Amino acid sequence: MTRIPYRRPDDMTERARELTLERGNLNVYRVLANAEKVYPGWMLAGRAALTSPVLSRRLRELVTLHTAYLMDCPYELGQHKDIARTAGLTDSDIKAVISDSDWQTAGFNAVELAILRLTSELVTQHGASAELVDQVHTELGSEATVEVLMIIGRYAGLALMLNALDVDLDETARLPTLPTTT
Amino acid sequence: MSRIPLVNLDQQPESIRQWAASRGNLNVFRLLANAPRMFGGWTEMVDELFASPTFDARMRELIILRVAHPQASPYELGQHVPLARSAGLTDQQIDAIMGAGDLDKAGFGRADRVALDVVTELCTTHHLSDECFAAAHAIFGDDPFTELLMITSCYYGLALVLNAADLDVDVAGEPA
Repeated sequence: MTRIPYRRPDDMTERARELTLERGNLNVYRVLANAEKVYPGWMLAGRAALTSPVLSRRLRELVTLHTAYLMDCPYELGQHKDIARTAGLTDSDIKAVISDSDWQTAGFNAVELAILRLTSELVTQHGASAELVDQVHTELGSEATVEVLMIIGRYAGLALMLNALDVDLDETARLPTLPTTT
Repeated sequence: MSRIPLVNLDQQPESIRQWAASRGNLNVFRLLANAPRMFGGWTEMVDELFASPTFDARMRELIILRVAHPQASPYELGQHVPLARSAGLTDQQIDAIMGAGDLDKAGFGRADRVALDVVTELCTTHHLSDECFAAAHAIFGDDPFTELLMITSCYYGLALVLNAADLDVDVAGEPA
């Protein structure tokens, strides 16, 4: 049971309401909208992550799901297991990535494996080896590497908020796919 | 030396250049500006966190240091220990927040202690017990408690980015 009340979109500022409705009016948004002074900025940071074309949706969902698993966040897992299916991940891919080590032998390519390893080290140890960061940087370049890191950071931080507020997973509503910017 | 090259802020689009210059051209901006499509949203988020009147600077810095310590982020600690000091936290309190002193003897108020407990429990277990939630909710209420979580979340995630890059702490007075 979510520990604090949801904000109704009708009771939000116009800007907050627009951002909430654009993202499917999910429980996560209506609960975080309680922090009304900082909610729009947090939503804009997320919007930038979700609309950037730099990473494929498949890669973003791999990182998100693995982070959600390692942070033990049922809400993120519930949303993103369904979203990942629309981003080209199979059921067995999803099962592998929400495990401690099955992803290492699940047929992911070398870049995906390096990114999952980076996610795993960072979320569990707060840091990563220089070799691993260099490997991801060599494969992806600076822009995509920083985006991967920011996505790991965003979903790790969000997991703390969702777990702290014990937010119920939406019955059927899932995050819609936003069009990417050019 | 950062493991990811830092951008030259002079060569960034006007909006990024101006924003970074108005906030001291820190290395963290030079790192994150590698991702210009995400940078603008990130700046909107931190601007609101710092402009909000919900918590004073002292409470905000208390929360940030309490996150940066278990996240073992030299960059966040390097930046925020001086900010914490100028926001009114004593050296004894700063040491205690970072696990090097007795919280009971550092002169913290009840709200300080509850905030410190929330952050520690979240950072170490990724969850919040019913008791800790109830204590925090009773003191802060829905809106400030959620904002406390927002600050925690922002610095928890940012520490991972900074640690991965092994970002150098800015040297005072040195142009970025």
